[in-house]
Amino acid sequence: MNLRKVLTIIISKLTIRILRLLKKGGTTLPGKVAFKLYPDILKSIAKDFEIIMVTGTNGKTTTSRIIEEILKNNNVDYITNKSGANLLSGITTTFIQAVSPLGKPKHKTALIESDEAAFNQVTKHLQPKSVVVTNFFRDQLDRYGELYSTLNAVKSGLDRLDEKTTLILNADDSMCASLGHKTEKLVFYYGFGEAASQQSSENINTDAMFCIFCKGKYQYKSHVYGHLGGFYCPECGYSRPVADLECIGIEEAGSNHTTIRWKCSKALDTDESEYTTQINLPGLYNVYNAMAAATCGLSLAYSHETVQKAVESFECGFGRMETINVGNKSIKLILVKNPTGFNQVLNFLTLDKQPLNIAFLINDKLADGTDISWLWDVDFEHLNTAGDRIVNLITSGIRGEDMAVRLKYSGLDTKKIRIIKDYHRVIDEGLKAVADGGCFYILPTYTAMLDIRGILKKKFNLKEFWK
Amino acid sequence: MYQLKICHLYPDLLNTYGDMGNILALKRRAQWRNIDVTVTNVTIGDSFDSEEYDIIFLGGGQDYEQEIIQNDVLLQKGAEIKNAVEGSKVFLCICGGYQLMGKYYKTWDGKELEYLGALDLWTIGGKERMIGNIVFESGLISDNGSPLKIVGFENHSGRTYLGDNVRPLGKVLSGNGNNGTDGFEGAVYKNVYCSYSHGSLLPKNPHLADHLISMALKQRYNEFEGLTLLEDEFENAARITMLQRLLK
Repeated sequence: MNLRKVLTIIISKLTIRILRLLKKGGTTLPGKVAFKLYPDILKSIAKDFEIIMVTGTNGKTTTSRIIEEILKNNNVDYITNKSGANLLSGITTTFIQAVSPLGKPKHKTALIESDEAAFNQVTKHLQPKSVVVTNFFRDQLDRYGELYSTLNAVKSGLDRLDEKTTLILNADDSMCASLGHKTEKLVFYYGFGEAASQQSSENINTDAMFCIFCKGKYQYKSHVYGHLGGFYCPECGYSRPVADLECIGIEEAGSNHTTIRWKCSKALDTDESEYTTQINLPGLYNVYNAMAAATCGLSLAYSHETVQKAVESFECGFGRMETINVGNKSIKLILVKNPTGFNQVLNFLTLDKQPLNIAFLINDKLADGTDISWLWDVDFEHLNTAGDRIVNLITSGIRGEDMAVRLKYSGLDTKKIRIIKDYHRVIDEGLKAVADGGCFYILPTYTAMLDIRGILKKKFNLKEFWK
Repeated sequence: MYQLKICHLYPDLLNTYGDMGNILALKRRAQWRNIDVTVTNVTIGDSFDSEEYDIIFLGGGQDYEQEIIQNDVLLQKGAEIKNAVEGSKVFLCICGGYQLMGKYYKTWDGKELEYLGALDLWTIGGKERMIGNIVFESGLISDNGSPLKIVGFENHSGRTYLGDNVRPLGKVLSGNGNNGTDGFEGAVYKNVYCSYSHGSLLPKNPHLADHLISMALKQRYNEFEGLTLLEDEFENAARITMLQRLLK
């Protein structure tokens, strides 16, 4: 028995208890304490788990939550890190909670969401069985430096893992797919087939225009959004890999759900039939999340029925399209953190045929990204397509004034834009402007979401996020 | 009706930090005054004749993208850019675009990359990035007689030093500026304005945006008498909030 290890676990567990009693989240500090006491703690307690990891820029949480549904449908006993505790310390806390004081696992499987910039660090301690990578977009460059350094860090993290690790990669993202290039590991790809994509169109504000291998300019056979699509490099021949799970058609794209047709390769599922699935979230980005999760589930040999059921039944994660009913009106919280994600949310909002009442809560704390220049890369101009359906636009948060400037320069009617810094007033005035049966959309950055959720929790009795 | 022609150089490659915000500010502020604006994108392989434009914009890029444009900007467009600078054309150059206008970039391990040499300035790479909000006082534009304070965000590892022929754009009140040591930010030479402050520099600093528009229109129209005033409530609120926070 390793006394230092046992003591570390006990002290960390106590720290978690105390922080919970004090109504603090207690997701980060216990892990930090554990590392101070015993640097090998994570490696030592995580080695007996079968680990599934999810990383990438956008969609980590939603993808993880769908995989969680797949595990539930298969009666798998698992642990997972919720609430965005996806840095090394938060992940360590998750494992400490899941072992006995002697370090014996109480569960078999661990589903771990990892921040893409922390991934390289985390894989020094964990040896996952499967790694899902969602995509790479520019995000918080003030924190990560450059997009290619994030990609390279994930690549180094993957290179460290042994050959038994299975990779689940986005075929449509030239950067993500490059992780499967010349690897000994088993790789499964997911993506949109040409029939389900748009004709290729030039998009000036894109993250990856030039070939990762030879710097030639990519051409596109089809285009989904951002830099995602049927890319190929005419110079060196690098191109979108064939997808093992492919969306072959979108039957219906509603404001609350998307119905798709998809099919699998023989390598992924012995039955090659086509399936129709309703995903209970709107937006193409959620189709990617569902496909990533399904590919992961099928690669772990779970049955098609249980995977399909998970995709069709899951509820969304913390702050990601959470709905709160207030009398005969509702509030929808949608986290925004980078241009591509924000564009997808705006796209979804303009699809809705209802009047639009939106509050934008922009903070610039460390966890949000201290640089808010990215707001100028978001296509707010697209909101103009909603025309008269826009009723009320509130801007708030530490950088609420900057957000108001951004909306003004997108050409929207300034008479509809108001800066309201007090969150209680944001909620009251926002709800007031909504007609009966309507919805008030709140779009916060990460720390603004924690704050507004705290207030909504008190006001309308929401669940604690770590439960 | 006045006309304003803006050239966005390498918009597909030098646009890392919300550079579109600067183009948008110039465009909207002209449109709100009924000035007819066109924005032309000019990138690798495109021909470039500076005579066709009133304002030329160069944004910031990641190292990867700056490498890609290197040949095109030096060999294909370099001479024309230098002519335009000497001919007093209005330029706005941000971050990577700012460095590119200088003589060279020396990496921290000693490798020297030749740049345009349009301006008497040079950049030395550093290991640590200088990242954060910045406020600097510009001696160029005054608001009711007092020197205007400009707010922005900087994110650069290069340290830029100015030669005798260029003036700094401003004096740093909070943040790092050109090199973190001499207390200056940005550069001005003839009608070329350079700054490390990226993304939302012009939208949040409408006086600077209007200054660039005025200079450009003055060149095109002899009879130009100045711009009408705009309602800048949000812009001023955004700037003042940051001034209060950073200059406590």
